[in-house]
Amino acid sequence: MTEVNVAQKKIEEYLQELRAALRALPAEQVSDIVEELRSHIVEKAAAGGDLAPAAVDSAIADLGRPEDLASLYLTDDLQVRALASRSPLLVLRSLFRWASLSFAGFWVLTSSLVGYFLSGALVCCALLRPIHPRTAGLWMIPNGTDYEISLRLGFGSVPAGGKDVLGWWIVPIGLVLGIGFFFLTALFGLWSIRRLRRTSPIDALRK
Amino acid sequence: MSYIVSCVPMAVATVPEAIDKWEVQVRKGCLELAILAVLWSGRLYGLEILRRLEEGSALIVPEGTVYPLLNRLKAEGLLASEWVEGDAGHPRKYYKLTASGRRRAVQMAEFWSSFSASLDGLLAPFRLAPRGKEER
Repeated sequence: MTEVNVAQKKIEEYLQELRAALRALPAEQVSDIVEELRSHIVEKAAAGGDLAPAAVDSAIADLGRPEDLASLYLTDDLQVRALASRSPLLVLRSLFRWASLSFAGFWVLTSSLVGYFLSGALVCCALLRPIHPRTAGLWMIPNGTDYEISLRLGFGSVPAGGKDVLGWWIVPIGLVLGIGFFFLTALFGLWSIRRLRRTSPIDALRK
Repeated sequence: MSYIVSCVPMAVATVPEAIDKWEVQVRKGCLELAILAVLWSGRLYGLEILRRLEEGSALIVPEGTVYPLLNRLKAEGLLASEWVEGDAGHPRKYYKLTASGRRRAVQMAEFWSSFSASLDGLLAPFRLAPRGKEER
């Protein structure tokens, strides 16, 4: 194999790894990115004439590992889409990716998950009240000398000594609070992405 | 435009780590503006953008961060791109500013000018002080 072939093979291997790491993006966008980087590597490595394997190695090393590079593209892409669509699902996906890159992202993701969980629990409780009129609701249950506050979906029996705090009020209150929490959590996610997106992905590559 | 790009201090080989970290943050914060700035006078492709950034400003840019950033600026509608089959023997992807990219560049440049002027004001007293006399 000639030097040029070896060099070309190195480029193909790198781009193949990059393509694999980018597979979550639309195919058209992936080939656009891959071709752009091919053009970059070829031009940089062939600056002194023919493609030389050592020059390809150094051009590739300057770009960084394919998975890190792909991670930047994917995080940016998800964040742009999440901000444009404001869809809670996209925001959450974007947060998952971000959480894998930075500590701040991890905390935002954790708080978002707690927020959505609470919202879901409140709405479920409100909706299940008509089906389990005697057991679903916000209960205060004695626990030794203390009380424990518990949001119950109504599966199982009436807790011993417990008090149904809200009664039927759980339906309107649960729905309003649940939906409120949902939107607050979604807004919090969007706000955090907008606030931190400029710093986090590049940080990740620097580490 | 070169004053915009040179917002980043020249890299010094022996800076302590805290300063080093701070420099990275400053560079990163300026990168978007620097890219919009080098594209002000016409279209350029990725490697040209990188070279302009390095020549014009000693702005040391990790190459792996510039291409995703270009991609994002394009997704945000600040840049447009086109493939050009040139004399290089391989196609190149050129970027240029869109109308909203120009507006953004002007806004960022205005902010930068007023910001750096007021910061310079704060720095003036101890930058003028003779070295070695600063308080500990």
